[in-house]
Amino acid sequence: MEGREEATRAALEEGRAQFTFRSERGRLLVRGVGNAALGILLVVALWWAVAEAMIYIRGVSFPTPPETIAVLWELLRGAGINGASIYAHTSASLERWGKGYLIALVIGLSFGMALGTLPRLYEVGMIPVYVFQMIPGLAWIPIAMLLFGLGETGTVFIIAMTALSPIIINTAGGIREVPTVFTRVARMSGKDDSAMFFSVLLPAASLSIINGMRIGLANGWRVLIAAEMVVGVALGLGFSIYMSRYDLDFTTAFACIMVICAIGLTIEKLFFVSLENRVRHRLGLDREDQL
Amino acid sequence: MTTELRNVSKVFTDPRSGKGLVALKDVDLAVEEGEFLCLVGASGCGKSTTLNLLAGFESPSRGEVLFRGERVRGPSPARGVVFQESSLYPWMSVLKNVMFSLQGEERQEERAMEQLRLVGLEDFAHSRPNDLSGGMKQRVAIARTLAMGPELLLMDEPFGSLDEQTRRKLDTEVLNLWQRERKTVVFVTHNIDEALILGTRVVLMSASPGRIEREWRIDEPWPRDLASKDMIRIKGEIISMLQACPCANGAPAAMIDLEGM
Repeated sequence: MEGREEATRAALEEGRAQFTFRSERGRLLVRGVGNAALGILLVVALWWAVAEAMIYIRGVSFPTPPETIAVLWELLRGAGINGASIYAHTSASLERWGKGYLIALVIGLSFGMALGTLPRLYEVGMIPVYVFQMIPGLAWIPIAMLLFGLGETGTVFIIAMTALSPIIINTAGGIREVPTVFTRVARMSGKDDSAMFFSVLLPAASLSIINGMRIGLANGWRVLIAAEMVVGVALGLGFSIYMSRYDLDFTTAFACIMVICAIGLTIEKLFFVSLENRVRHRLGLDREDQL
Repeated sequence: MTTELRNVSKVFTDPRSGKGLVALKDVDLAVEEGEFLCLVGASGCGKSTTLNLLAGFESPSRGEVLFRGERVRGPSPARGVVFQESSLYPWMSVLKNVMFSLQGEERQEERAMEQLRLVGLEDFAHSRPNDLSGGMKQRVAIARTLAMGPELLLMDEPFGSLDEQTRRKLDTEVLNLWQRERKTVVFVTHNIDEALILGTRVVLMSASPGRIEREWRIDEPWPRDLASKDMIRIKGEIISMLQACPCANGAPAAMIDLEGM
């Protein structure tokens, strides 16, 4: 097939209204990856500049990117933090995150759907949700400790609580914002409440619901450090970062931060973006702006 | 007589701002069996409110809405609406959209295809609505509403957002459909020409508060000639009344918003 330039020229000469040309998906993919790499380089450059400035001005041993990457490399090759490998720390954190998120998902989706469909409940029920949303991650620590003491349960609780609010808000909001005309069509067609919910409200709100799930997931991951302060055992990425303030091994802490960022970005960008695209496609929304 | 507004008033109130709007005041309107009734008037004069009352989406503040002698308590497949905006579910294929509104369980696919054939879109049964043009979407919407088997067809500026050419083509299709199926149609439009081309009766509404101003019976056969003496006379009368009535100047913007509540 022809390239874009030749195809355009040919179409203009031959007076055709529509034409096709060789897709440039490969080029666009390379550009996307290039942009991502440039963006990450920008972060590293900023970090490096700040690190050198701090070393010079304040005389502190601010970890630089090369030092951190060297430590990360050692960790990945099996060096331990607090007697456990980075893999053990990571999988412990991932497991807590998964548990907390799963709980948030079950509670958040069912609450969100109830609040979204029952206006009277929404008016009252959303107030506690907004209150919970305003409680910062660290503030959950005393609550978790009073409820569960030190241990795994408190950690999972904190992750669940921070992931919960955006899931409820977006699920309820998405359902409430379904255009009136969609519900009117179902009502005049004589549909019952369950057909209305499953055939109309849920699909119409699904992009908003996925968005809430995405924000909830990110919230749960970001609260990891705070959540693992109450974990009680010396395992977890957040715990390792938290411990670095005592043993002053900031380079290892930075390496752990890198791992957290890498995992968060991967799940956000790879998993959720493709999930959203797939749902968008299923909903027939991906063709809205096309020819 | 199929449907009737009996001394209906419709009031919208916004408790937050403390503003109220009388969208309709003391409206009497009887839709006759088999007629093609066009409601015209400037925006804000209560055309859409009237249609929503007939459909059962709204209930009257005073007076009553009757369908075949019974009080209307909500929407029903007997009174099908074609909406102005795109109302197809984008997550369903064209065929599934039509099937969604079909009444009865048997031979669903076959019957939905029949409806699509009526509007000439059977080849697009498996397309998604967003792959269709605006005019095609409205044809599917008509097919879907007909699939409900309505006795009364309520159309709320169905072609208002389409270009002139497409609108004229679809007007003709609706007219053919009406002549073939012998449904009763209530058709809301702000386009006087459209009303004159389609209607057996044209009802002019005016605003502040919304009411029925005057009506014309049109006995001319189709296709109609807008340049005929009668048509020019009626059009002239409608335009002069539109200019005389307060709604031509537009009700206050904040008030018009309330109508959509």
